[in-house]
Amino acid sequence: MMRNDPIKHVFIWPAVLVVLAISIFPLIYSFTTSFLSYRLIPPIPPRVVWFGNYVTLLQEPRFWNAILTTTLIAFIAVGLQYVIGFGVALALNARVPGERLFRVALLLPMLLAPVAVALVARMIFNPTMGPLNQLLSTFGLANLPFLTNGHWALGCIIAVEIWQWTPFVILMMLAGLQTLPEDVYEAAELENASAWQQFWGITFPMMLPISAAVVFIRLIESYKIMDTVFVMTGGGPGVDTETLTLFAYQEGFKKFNLGYTSALSFLFLIAITIIGVTYLALLRPHLEKRR
Amino acid sequence: MSGQGLTGLSTLSRRLVALGVLAWCLITAFPLYWVVVTAFKTPPGVVGGPTYIPFVDFTPTLQPFIDLYQGIRGEFFRTFLNSTIVGLSAAAMATAIGAMAAYALVRFEFRVRLGAGLIFFLLALGGYLLFSNNLGFTRAQALLLAFPIALVIAIIANRLPLPGPILGNEDILFWFVSQRMFPPIVTAFALYLLYTEIGRLGFQLIDSYVGLTLCYVAFSLPIVVWLMRDFFEAIPIEVEEAAMVDNVPSWRIFLGIVVPMSMNGLLATFMITLAFVWNEFLFALFLTNSKWQTLPILVAGQNSQRGDEWWAISAAALVAIIPMMIMAGLLSRMMRSGLLLGAIK
Repeated sequence: MMRNDPIKHVFIWPAVLVVLAISIFPLIYSFTTSFLSYRLIPPIPPRVVWFGNYVTLLQEPRFWNAILTTTLIAFIAVGLQYVIGFGVALALNARVPGERLFRVALLLPMLLAPVAVALVARMIFNPTMGPLNQLLSTFGLANLPFLTNGHWALGCIIAVEIWQWTPFVILMMLAGLQTLPEDVYEAAELENASAWQQFWGITFPMMLPISAAVVFIRLIESYKIMDTVFVMTGGGPGVDTETLTLFAYQEGFKKFNLGYTSALSFLFLIAITIIGVTYLALLRPHLEKRR
Repeated sequence: MSGQGLTGLSTLSRRLVALGVLAWCLITAFPLYWVVVTAFKTPPGVVGGPTYIPFVDFTPTLQPFIDLYQGIRGEFFRTFLNSTIVGLSAAAMATAIGAMAAYALVRFEFRVRLGAGLIFFLLALGGYLLFSNNLGFTRAQALLLAFPIALVIAIIANRLPLPGPILGNEDILFWFVSQRMFPPIVTAFALYLLYTEIGRLGFQLIDSYVGLTLCYVAFSLPIVVWLMRDFFEAIPIEVEEAAMVDNVPSWRIFLGIVVPMSMNGLLATFMITLAFVWNEFLFALFLTNSKWQTLPILVAGQNSQRGDEWWAISAAALVAIIPMMIMAGLLSRMMRSGLLLGAIK
């Protein structure tokens, strides 16, 4: 039942005002700035260049490199998070022995500051003082250039992302699994369906809506990745691991190229929107079929 | 909880599954163990290669923590205090404001014309351009003028029979939540410019308590509204209806009945928001420079400041992590009572 009472405005306006002021407001500001050539260092008075910034950006290889890096990190990390997370959630839901103990441990990583996690990762991946390379040495393997080789560094960042965010997937999938009706499984049991068949025939399809939501949230969040990369590699070696947010930070905060950075952040916004809309459009037929 | 999935498996495969989960837990735990032991090492214990077990491999020391407290590597104590103050107040404000909005969206009906929304956006944009380019105001003044004018006209326009679709509560909720989709760099950078411009009017927001907290409140609101809506929807409406029959005003229903009934939800939301603000890096990087620096910035800076002094870096990271470890313990206790699971679903 919905009430109608003038007091509702008192309830909702503070939140609307704060969000409008802090997120719509700067949006207008940076939208208009993105059409200007505007630098603070050296100080040049703003000049309207229309789409000049956008054109320059689209021709800039570093921009495409950042897009590729970010996309690689997001898709690989989220894919693996989903597979591992779903697996662990299934196991926990089936009351694996010692399940209670696991829960605190599983919640922990995603509550920790990514910056601190990245520092710990740096220690572990350290070529001479880190435990990982020592482990490799004990097995007689060659030491690996974890953070100084572009490909390995990318892999390390992905590994850290998986370490930190799989718990989120576990938590959400576990919540989803616990809402599944039990009678369907009892029926499948009577038909002698194997555990494998039960998973693909019942669990997976029924979990599809929540899976879609979890992957969507993680994908969007992963595209914003910045702090982990900032601490672990600083975008290096070279620009091999530079993500979009880091690129924007370098341009805006190191070079104070305001118009350019605003254009960059708008392209980023457009890219995220395209990815989000495409993802939802691809999934919609599957989701509706199941309902 | 249903016991499906593993019922058809043999004891052996059950053990294998348990082993897999255990392996994941070890992977989760090892880095945490590593940061804890490293924080108690002396410099030789670190540089000489990895050591694992205290008292056996190396002699633990408290020196890294004493150094931290004495501020040898940056003003740690002060930064910790900053993080605590900003985190607690931003989380409290976001939870309060967000819970009110969520309650309004669950229990009252809202109708916003899409036309009015468009009018707001166009007027804000156009007014800003007009004021700044043609009427000689500074950019910040132009924005501050255009914003309330556009808002007032849009509110009036909402009463008029404009053509176009009418948006309801679900759409407003979606608008709130979609704020979370924006790449924060878009807002962080724009906010930095805006704060600087406002600073020129003599109202300092960069590196200030107000500026940082306000920004965190705005960015926590989407999560708070989303989580709290589920909690409020779970409350049986009969209690509120009974109170309404007795002519209890809405704000007293909210404060006296709804808030106490959803105390656990509010607490969980508060803690999640606090964790979010405590760990946030990007906004703090843009909006602070010395006085109101938060822990993540200081911790990130440890690395470059004096090279690979892992014992000190670990101690710093540990201080940033410990409050969240306690929080994880509390949250998992709430989770066990099935509280959070309902909200997440």
